[in-house]
Amino acid sequence: MRLLRYFLYRVMQMFPIALFIVIINFALIHMAPGDVSILLAGEGADPEYMASVRQSYGLDKPLYQQLGAYIGQLLQGDLGLSFRTREPVIGIIAERVPATLLLAGTALVLASVLGVVIGSFMARRPGSALDTAVTTLSISLFSIPVFWLGLMLILLFAVTLRWLPSSGMMSIAGPREGIGFVLDVAKHMILPVISLSAVWLGQYVRLARSSVSETLAEPYVTTARAIGFPERRVMTRFALRNAMLPIVTVLGLELGLLLSGAVLTETVFSWPGLGRLIYEAILSRDTPVIMGAFLIMSFTVMLAALVTDLLYATLDPRVRL
Amino acid sequence: MTPTLVKTVRATVRSWPGVLSLTVLLGITAAALAAPILSLPDPADMAFDLYQPPSSSFWLGTDNFGRDIFSRVVWGARVALMVAIGAALLSILIGSALGAVAGYFGGWIDGLLSRIFDIFLLIPTFFLILLIVALFGASLPLTIIAIALTTWPRSARLMRSQVLTLKSRVYVQAALAAGAPHWWVIVRHVIPNGIAPIITDGTILMGMAILTEAGLSFLGLGDQNMVSWGSMIFEGQRHLRLAPWMSIAPGVALLMLVASLNLLGDSVNFAMNPQLRTRGGAPKRRASVAPPKGEGPATEETPILQVEDLRLEYTVGNRRIAAVDGVSFSLPRGGALGIVGESGCGKSSLGSALLQTMPNNAELTAGNVRYDGRAIILGGKPVVEGGRSRIDALRWTRIATIFQSAMNALNPVTTVRRQMMDALRLHRPGISRADATDRISEVFDMIGIPRSRMNAYPHQLSGGMRQRAMIALSLILEPELVIADEPTTALDMLIQDQILGEIADLRERLNLSLILVSHDMGAVAESCEVVAVMYAGRIVEIAPTRRIFDNPAHPYSRTLIGALPSLTGPLEKLESLPATDTAAAAAATGCRFAHACLAATDLCRKTTPPAMNLGGGHVCECHYAEDFAAETAADKREVRA
Ligand code: SF4
Repeated sequence: MRLLRYFLYRVMQMFPIALFIVIINFALIHMAPGDVSILLAGEGADPEYMASVRQSYGLDKPLYQQLGAYIGQLLQGDLGLSFRTREPVIGIIAERVPATLLLAGTALVLASVLGVVIGSFMARRPGSALDTAVTTLSISLFSIPVFWLGLMLILLFAVTLRWLPSSGMMSIAGPREGIGFVLDVAKHMILPVISLSAVWLGQYVRLARSSVSETLAEPYVTTARAIGFPERRVMTRFALRNAMLPIVTVLGLELGLLLSGAVLTETVFSWPGLGRLIYEAILSRDTPVIMGAFLIMSFTVMLAALVTDLLYATLDPRVRL
Repeated sequence: MTPTLVKTVRATVRSWPGVLSLTVLLGITAAALAAPILSLPDPADMAFDLYQPPSSSFWLGTDNFGRDIFSRVVWGARVALMVAIGAALLSILIGSALGAVAGYFGGWIDGLLSRIFDIFLLIPTFFLILLIVALFGASLPLTIIAIALTTWPRSARLMRSQVLTLKSRVYVQAALAAGAPHWWVIVRHVIPNGIAPIITDGTILMGMAILTEAGLSFLGLGDQNMVSWGSMIFEGQRHLRLAPWMSIAPGVALLMLVASLNLLGDSVNFAMNPQLRTRGGAPKRRASVAPPKGEGPATEETPILQVEDLRLEYTVGNRRIAAVDGVSFSLPRGGALGIVGESGCGKSSLGSALLQTMPNNAELTAGNVRYDGRAIILGGKPVVEGGRSRIDALRWTRIATIFQSAMNALNPVTTVRRQMMDALRLHRPGISRADATDRISEVFDMIGIPRSRMNAYPHQLSGGMRQRAMIALSLILEPELVIADEPTTALDMLIQDQILGEIADLRERLNLSLILVSHDMGAVAESCEVVAVMYAGRIVEIAPTRRIFDNPAHPYSRTLIGALPSLTGPLEKLESLPATDTAAAAAATGCRFAHACLAATDLCRKTTPPAMNLGGGHVCECHYAEDFAAETAADKREVRA
């Protein structure tokens, strides 16, 4: 009951944010230099198509009506047409989502689990030489430009050693079903996942290290030790359990950053996901696709924030309306 | 420069990551500034030496147009620094201004602005910047502005919380009272004082800005007229197989610059809050000793707890502070001892020493502790028998503690019942669920917590109930000795009295031995036969409760009781003695209390007062103890609130 009410409350809060994002998007198109209709239809579009774009966006009506029309379109899931392929943007994006989810999801799980394990291990000996070294190393890790790390991995493992494929999601002539297919994709995933998660690992090690060491200084941990709980249990049951709260929050908040890393990584590895799509759209000045991708990314991040909130509420009994 | 700033800078350059990052940063900045006067080949100059690997004439090789990569990397540093400084400055400027306004005015302005900060947190900034740059055309100034426009809420949130705490400060209030206009107060007083954490965050912001610009350039949205490391990698990518050096060099440069910025921010942060680096942690392994030979069996007469000359030192930075400085006492079985003193006097450290739960920066440097005749600490070291520390065998089954529950002494994410269940099962592994539940209910009834509250989380209980839950938890395994550390602090008077009454009552019923630590004389009066007064790490007076109330012999005890010694006139303001004062006093020679004692003489300041035995278990460390103790109770006035 508590969770449901909280959830609904948070959902309600998302509406103004969504509206804000849509308005930003709308404002940007109108402020950008050049004719809005050309931005939306593409240069050199035939007059007939141009007219239909003007018509559907209501471009000769007053601004507030245009905004209304725009929101109406969005509500129907209409993000316009790509002017490269003339296909609906929403479809093009939807096609690319699974690949991105696979890559970003794997990297996220890998980096966060490993980060929490390493970070809480470091929290046991704060200030030690190992702790300082690991802290410094993790700072260096998340200072690496993710796309460059990808290139270096390609250089080492694909070009020099020839162990792993350097691009794509599957071999051109590889199997398309069964275990062979899974293995093929997995092989293609190794390098992009490593680049993406290495950068994030640094972030999560630091995050876990600081929140766990903070909880280890809490009075209830002293109580647990006075009771006589073995240190392993103090760590999991008391420290980690409470440290998960800030960790989960930050994980949710920084999903946007993770996604931008994913876009860059996909570009390097020609991974057929959203990032690659955005890159291609930039190269061909396909504005509707870029705008659509921004909207989708924003809504994904909002959704992630919602899930995080809910997770937080289940973890922390203190959360109430 | 303010003293704190100097201190921060000093502490930063003392740590090796601080020195390393500053060196790299200064090096890169110097190279960037000197780029035009260095005799480098023009970074845009195309030559016929295409794809030259690094050599003595081309230090980092040449690219697909034959341009010198070393020169391009140096020129690229200018762009990177421009982006870093420009974007961070602009972002901090906008952010601090709006954050200051939100925090300063509060009300609906704050509501609205805070809402906007929150919304921005949810927008994936990189994509927004990307969209802006894609729509408006790729140029460096635009990229800088776009980064600032999407990152300012970071500084805004920081500044807002700073301002909220600064607002109530005296000088701000004084400036306002003197009729200064709001904007003047903000610009003159609020922003300069709140800027420190924002500057630390600024280094992280700079790193983010550089990586963002590099990312955009790598996607082909870089400024065509500038040499940026991101665009160099963008171009290098296509020639990765043929000329890997094209992408290696700018990447290494990026990594070095961003890492040193982040590392610097981190070092400054730690320099400002040194405890961040060492707080918490698992208990460290301490040197231990074997049990002494010839420990006789305990008899009825053996005290349950005997403490001899116990010393505990904290290491803070490179200072060592003796929080417990030679404390001895003995507690008979079934007895109750109150330990009273102000915060910082070492009473809680004493409690943690007895339980061996002190933090890692605390060390027992001397002293013995015997429990029921058996040594658990010898010469400051824990006694280990059969591979197990003796205190561990006593934990909760024989020695339990009551902490101040208002301070999060109970796990906030677990129900009270569950916490009791866990403790019970830890020490009685075989106990059945039903029996355990019975025992928990029994203790709850005993303490006066309604059974319906069993499944509550700590935060769902009132302050009094939460403290009762803590007491219940301490009694769940029927211990013999309970050490209660400020068990009623932060509760209102009525509840305090109730809980103290209950502790006294339980003690009788369960024949508990009790150590009650408190800052309040009145709190220990009811339940303890003996009271020890602690000051600056030592027990300065110990006596049976009646005696210490009727004839306090130490001037400090008198101030705690609220009696006004006729000899010396009123003593006020003692309650607010800060902890550092008592620590400083501990280091000085002569009487520790002399700096605050109105009866102090030259003798007091020169010679440490001996322990004067006044008979009947009354011992006091004051040169004039006998005179003070002889005064009649009529001279004293109850002023305890
Ligand atoms: S020894 Fe002197 S200074 Fe110390 S408490 Fe006694 S009278 Fe005061």
